[in-house]
Amino acid sequence: MTIIEERPERQEHPVERRLAEIVPGPEPHGFVKYATSTDHKQIGVNYMVTSFLFFLFAGALAMVIRTQLIVPNNHVVSLDVYNQIFTIHGTVMIFVFLGPFAFGLANYIVPLQIGAPDMAFPRFNAFSYWLYLGGGLTLVSGFLTSSGAANFGWFGYAPLTEAVHSPGAGADLWIIGVGLTGFSGIFTAINVVTTIFMLRAPGMVMFRMPIFCWNQMVTMFLVLLAFPVLTSALALIYLDRHFHTHFFDPGDGGQPILWQHLFWFFGHPEVYILVLPYFGVVTEVFATMSRKPVFGYKGMVGATLSIGGLSMGVWAHHMYTTGAVLLPFFAALSLLIAVPTGIKFFNWIGTMWRGTLVLNTAMLFCIGFLFTFLLGGLTGVMLAEPPLDFQLHDTYFIVAHLHYVMFGGSAFAVFAGIFYWFPKFTGRMLHEGWGKVFFVLMFVGFNLTFFPQHDLGLRGMQRRIGIYPAHQGWDFLNMLSSIGSYIMGLSIITLLWNFWRTLRKGERAGDNPWDGGTLEWACASPPSHHNFESLPPIRSERPVWDANHPEDLTKVGH
Amino acid sequence: MHQLASRLLATNYGSPPGITSQNKDVRFLWNLTYWFAIPLGLIVMGLVIWCVVRYRRRPGREQIPHQFQYHIPIEAAYTIIPVVIVAVVFGFMYTAEDRIDHVAKNPAAQVKVEGFQWGWRFTYLTVDGRNLSRAEQFQEVGSVANEPSINDDSSLPTLTLPSNVTVQLDLFTDDVNHSFYIPAALFKRDLIQHVTNTVDLNFLKTGHFIGECTQFCGTFHPFMRFNVDIMPPAQFTKWAAAQKPGSVTYAGKPFDSGIPANIFGAGN
Repeated sequence: MTIIEERPERQEHPVERRLAEIVPGPEPHGFVKYATSTDHKQIGVNYMVTSFLFFLFAGALAMVIRTQLIVPNNHVVSLDVYNQIFTIHGTVMIFVFLGPFAFGLANYIVPLQIGAPDMAFPRFNAFSYWLYLGGGLTLVSGFLTSSGAANFGWFGYAPLTEAVHSPGAGADLWIIGVGLTGFSGIFTAINVVTTIFMLRAPGMVMFRMPIFCWNQMVTMFLVLLAFPVLTSALALIYLDRHFHTHFFDPGDGGQPILWQHLFWFFGHPEVYILVLPYFGVVTEVFATMSRKPVFGYKGMVGATLSIGGLSMGVWAHHMYTTGAVLLPFFAALSLLIAVPTGIKFFNWIGTMWRGTLVLNTAMLFCIGFLFTFLLGGLTGVMLAEPPLDFQLHDTYFIVAHLHYVMFGGSAFAVFAGIFYWFPKFTGRMLHEGWGKVFFVLMFVGFNLTFFPQHDLGLRGMQRRIGIYPAHQGWDFLNMLSSIGSYIMGLSIITLLWNFWRTLRKGERAGDNPWDGGTLEWACASPPSHHNFESLPPIRSERPVWDANHPEDLTKVGH
Repeated sequence: MHQLASRLLATNYGSPPGITSQNKDVRFLWNLTYWFAIPLGLIVMGLVIWCVVRYRRRPGREQIPHQFQYHIPIEAAYTIIPVVIVAVVFGFMYTAEDRIDHVAKNPAAQVKVEGFQWGWRFTYLTVDGRNLSRAEQFQEVGSVANEPSINDDSSLPTLTLPSNVTVQLDLFTDDVNHSFYIPAALFKRDLIQHVTNTVDLNFLKTGHFIGECTQFCGTFHPFMRFNVDIMPPAQFTKWAAAQKPGSVTYAGKPFDSGIPANIFGAGN
């Protein structure tokens, strides 16, 4: 039996056999598919749907917060319950919604955009999803315990988190829950980085990757640098609480300030982990809806890389008021990070410049994003200056700033991404009319909610208070803010209605409804098993555009 | 609505005027930041609006625009100009921050400020430039236990300080992290165990102000407020002389002699 002798037998199998045909058995559906699939698209959808449900939950908590604050000296919920609610609101939005939604997009879109059949480690990928789901449920299960959920704020400053100040299972569940989502993030990061390095299609060199993939790659490197620090810090506080160690316990020589350093060494890159993928989303939407390539592609990649690099050195700008950090160093780096962010703004404007803008819902959210994120960025420059931060830190000015960045930035891009890729995920187009209603309500509600909070902070209203006095001049602005939050709540209902009607009877989308240029538009909607029947030649960062518009081929790059 | 408009249109860009000598520096930084931020913000928003209006898809325009990707002079401009702006802001910020963080050797008054869950204890260590002996020091304490309502400022502890001289505050906490914040002074500093924080303030205005804890510290965090009474130095001298050496007052009232002062925290 030699190898040569075996060769004729091989020819009995027709070469054209497709991968889908050698998958054994009938394809699973429904819950079995959700629970067993290792397909990157299914896992991506799992991530996105799960994190969106957590978003609805945390958003409902925000409604309670705003209802409590609508008038001074209000008693809708007790102070302790209020503290639990804002803690879980913040934790869920940061760890269980914005981050994992971006991981879901990474799972779904990155392999498609680089022309890969799946992620590098499919089962590892499924494992990270289940870790994430377990972590998220563990986190919120604190509400089911007799002492309630964690109540020390989403950055859980020691020594408030020590057993003596926060007894009860809620705090432990918070630590374990955040730790599990942290591990999930690390595993996803390994997977995405490996996928991008190893599974790019022939011709897809790094500098032909879409900006979205570049941003996801930088994000995942930040995850690899930041999340292990967080999980270690969580392990230390857990040891402090249960095994009588003294890492953060001041009574026995521990250093409470150490927690702040460890947390923010994770926490500041985390801010960029939550925003870089969404910069990628809006870049894709701007390019497609302007019907032009990304303006200043290489500068954009450079800006992303320098944001990633700088973000590792700015953690102590959350600690200016501790009196324990070298202010000029961190102020310089924090101010400097405004430069690459500004470059991105001009790139987006340059992409629209002399284009043909299709003003659909996805694009409207991106334009809204430019306004809100610009405001968040400018207040960020103010907060980067220590003397102004001494005035503004831990007031409602910070709350306004972070929501302009996290909601007006990242969450607006989430909505843009949903409208942009929904046809690819489901094969159906979300309704444009309802989408525009959603955008208008959301944009108005968002600004009405958070703009007055700048002023509240300047008037000295500190954050994380469940009750405030009547004579401070804070009541009118809080009333405005609460009304705005209800408008946002209403807008979310229109989005849910849009999902419902689209999934039932939405207009069918073709493979490429937006005339997009990146590779995810080359496969079916939704993509079949292992994604691609064939790939167009990849000679630029827009292979599908090149294939559909051969007359423009020679003009690109000029 | 006029409330919102009047504050937003105030000369200090919404920030209340500061009552300490730091106001000059902080105000200058607000101005500097806004001189750059407002034009830059308007330019960016203007460009976005112009692009959206000018280049929106309309019937009669070509559906496929000219495909171009790079424009080196523009790209260089929007990289270099922001770097220069940031360098300028940093330069001014650096000197301002140096002055604000300066700590004097011989303050006219020195007060130990202790935060605890959930209240404040002010111990007067130096009055009129004279260090008080341990027996002479007097204290003002107040906590949530004595506050019937969030609206009642009269039950709060009061920090009494002289104006127009350097006042030094030593910040300590007995338990979790707190933050000492006087909104009208445009200044705060955290109270963290094992971090020694000493700050100098020079109040230029007299009057009555409110102080708050801004670092979340547990259930009754919103109740952790205090009064700040700034009086002319002569009046402060008189007030300090009227305080019994070694006395503890509880939110302005004499402390019940039956209860030790350290019931509200370990005390240093």
